[in-house]
Amino acid sequence: MRLLAILFLFALILAGYLHHLDGVVRVKFEGKRWAVPAHVYARPLELFPGALATREQMLHELNQLGYRLETEAATPGSYGQRGAAGLRVHSRSFEFWDGKEPSRQVDIDFDKIQVSAMRSPAGEEVSLLRLEPYLIASIHPAQSEDRVLLRYQDLPRSLIGALIVAEDREFFEHHGVSLKGISRAMWANVKARRLVQGGSTLTQQLVKNFYLTQERKLVRKINEALMALVLEYHYGKEEIMEAYANEIFLGQDGQRAIHGFGLASRYYFNRPLQELDVAGQALLVALIRGPSFYNPVRRPERAMKRRNLILDLMAEYGVITAPAAAQAKAAPLGLSIAKKAGGTSYPAFMDLVRRQLSRDYHLEDLNSEGLRIHTTLDPWVQEQAEAALVDRLAAFEAQRPKLKDRLDGALVVVGRDDGEVQSVVGGRNTGFAGFNRALDAIRPIGSLVKPAVYLTALEMPERYNLVTPLKDEPVSLSTPGAPTWSPKNYDGKVHGSIPLFDALAQSYNLATVRLGLDLGVGPVANTLRELGVVRTIDPYPSLFLGTLSLSPLEVAQVYQTLAAGGYWTPLRTIREVLDQEGRPLQRYPLEVRQVVPGGPVHLLSTAMQRVVRSGTAASLSRWLPANLGIAGKTGTTDEMRDSWFAGFTGDRVAVAWVGRDDNEPTGLTGATGALQVWGAALSRISLAPLELIPPESVVFVQVDPKTGLQPGQGCAAMNLMEAPFMRGYEPLPQDCAISVPERKNPFWELF
Amino acid sequence: MRVLFGLAILTLTACGASPPREQTPAGPGPVMGGAGAPVVEGSRAQEHEPLTLATARPATAPRYTQREPSSGGAVRSLMQAAERQSSSGDSTAAAATLERALRIEPRNPLLLSQLARVRFDQGQYQRAVNFAAKSNSVAGANQGLRRGNWNLIAKARRAQGDEYGAREAELRANAAY
Repeated sequence: MRLLAILFLFALILAGYLHHLDGVVRVKFEGKRWAVPAHVYARPLELFPGALATREQMLHELNQLGYRLETEAATPGSYGQRGAAGLRVHSRSFEFWDGKEPSRQVDIDFDKIQVSAMRSPAGEEVSLLRLEPYLIASIHPAQSEDRVLLRYQDLPRSLIGALIVAEDREFFEHHGVSLKGISRAMWANVKARRLVQGGSTLTQQLVKNFYLTQERKLVRKINEALMALVLEYHYGKEEIMEAYANEIFLGQDGQRAIHGFGLASRYYFNRPLQELDVAGQALLVALIRGPSFYNPVRRPERAMKRRNLILDLMAEYGVITAPAAAQAKAAPLGLSIAKKAGGTSYPAFMDLVRRQLSRDYHLEDLNSEGLRIHTTLDPWVQEQAEAALVDRLAAFEAQRPKLKDRLDGALVVVGRDDGEVQSVVGGRNTGFAGFNRALDAIRPIGSLVKPAVYLTALEMPERYNLVTPLKDEPVSLSTPGAPTWSPKNYDGKVHGSIPLFDALAQSYNLATVRLGLDLGVGPVANTLRELGVVRTIDPYPSLFLGTLSLSPLEVAQVYQTLAAGGYWTPLRTIREVLDQEGRPLQRYPLEVRQVVPGGPVHLLSTAMQRVVRSGTAASLSRWLPANLGIAGKTGTTDEMRDSWFAGFTGDRVAVAWVGRDDNEPTGLTGATGALQVWGAALSRISLAPLELIPPESVVFVQVDPKTGLQPGQGCAAMNLMEAPFMRGYEPLPQDCAISVPERKNPFWELF
Repeated sequence: MRVLFGLAILTLTACGASPPREQTPAGPGPVMGGAGAPVVEGSRAQEHEPLTLATARPATAPRYTQREPSSGGAVRSLMQAAERQSSSGDSTAAAATLERALRIEPRNPLLLSQLARVRFDQGQYQRAVNFAAKSNSVAGANQGLRRGNWNLIAKARRAQGDEYGAREAELRANAAY
């Protein structure tokens, strides 16, 4: 009786304990199983006839996406050559915000600068093809697990076969624990007199990874077995296999742990699991026994040996045929590990993405919710911009040995009309997530401020137009308690009376300060705020020469507003955020707002084109042809501490800065420093010409640039220029006095 | 002092107050630089040839040229998709599709106008006004489009309770012929 009571008590405790385990298992399995970091994507490449993408750029993109070169491009994720100018691409399907982009086979022809034609293999015209974007970063905490989740039906049959033959041959028969497996393992271990086989089923391995610590204790073993039984009782084989495939630890990449076959395939082969061949699948299965011991990078022979062992097993148990196994065994490991797979190759851009995300998301959500973040990064533009900055800084230093390793810089490229940030270069050490000069180097902008001064003037058409004569003459300002301020021109000269547009093109300080004083500091500061400056602006006349300090990104915002004809668009890095299942969560829609009237901006833009054409930025012609009509402005600060250039083409706005982190002089002006970086960078990418469309408020008139007047009746031939004016304020024809020279009448002379 | 507004004049000048007329595109095409290689300077001679009263005045044919909003096949297919999405009531998707098209042709006034209409249908009146205004700013000589945009601005302003602004926009719409 007492024995019965003890047994009963024991059974009660066991039942209670099993109930407890049951709860643990179910909560873990049915609740949120994995903390998946947010995955961040670059922009997808859109291909259409006329798209400004070269074949070289296309091949680069396909390479980054891990597309394989196959003669006929028969499978998704492959491409083939078609003559010297064409490619056949077999795209992968991808879940976008607006739905699924199906996998397609498309023949693409290129000419020198663009896609010239797109057809299906059957010859039908294809108007638009969107490639999948590539993953540029995972957002995860310092020590963390990363994974790409898969469903059971995504797992290749041969991979499941390899798992079964290598790890748990009775998986589909047992109930969580395999006595057959344990006895076989024990027998093998006795035979070898050491531990060569573990008897754990896949279910037990999953439990071990999932719920328990790694300690080797009998209690843990028993717990593991009990939980495996509970797991098998509640869930089907497919669910357990799916969980296993997503959970299994397969490698370490710096601080990031590679979990699951989905991410492992991406990590080791830069390819989705579905595209992995049998040899690749076998290698991933080989890694289960010891991702570090069989590390295919550091221990290729060891990894190869185990992979081939698994291929033999697969053939032995009929998962694959013997010839297929032989073929796979002959294949190399075929690794393709991204250079900076751990964090990101684009730390400066990601820095900006994080800052913009942090406004709307908590860090925990980004670390764990598996969000898919689609950004605006154009990796091609980014890489060209990085290369150009690095290359130009080296060239400057080669000419000025004293500056060796002292110069640094930043470069930002954004879309002219949509404000999408295409690239952010935060310094010459581009792979390093350090001081991000594009965002955090807040430096005086020098003459980059001048367009705001001139725009303020041009917004008063009754007082100013492009040919209004300005006085470039000495000016001194004395304010009580401050030393007298007497600005100078960069060339130290005084230029007398010059038309307004020329004062901007030549960046004359004296004319600008005089103009600014006529306008007042307040209105100029107002213009700056309208254009997008959010920092406090000190209301001193030195503002007219750019004592205002901004980051290159903030300057890009101001120039974007100018470039878009007075329409401000917030600079964006994020297009949309999707949840783990690809369901839309949040879009960051395009916004535009007219902040400055289009007419004055049009006038200003033509003057800024003149800066490049024949003004201080004329040396841009070293890099880019004049018919692009680029508009821009150079900037140099006191003692050449900061070298700036900001400008725009028909499709892009870019800002370059060159300076030193210790804020010492560089010996570079805006033109000899930043302008060269800007030119070098933009000459590497496709550009649309800037064709300014005059708004209705603008008319064109022929005027004498010396006086700003329109000649009328009776005027002698003279050099005229055609200039845009605000309608209603254009100069009217002024008749010249017809002065008939007094002629001596020959008749009267006779007398 | 021979002053010329170089490129600005040669490609973009309009004749006095006459509205710009459409012509076939004559502007420079897109450019792809070499791999960061400096380019040879363009022909300067032509650009610096002085304009005189005699040579400049009789501009019977407008030298002003402007690209007519000609949507490429990619944009046309997206516009049609957006139209379908709009009429089936999915204006969120329509807006996303139009923004995708705007990445391909950022200054296409037809796209901007269509996006303005989608925003209006969504009750986002200020956005509707903004996109319609931006469409007008790049509409060039397309008076029909301007009229449509001004009418939409009028409706949006009225919906916002801005009767005065609505009347003003209607006047602009009626003037756009």
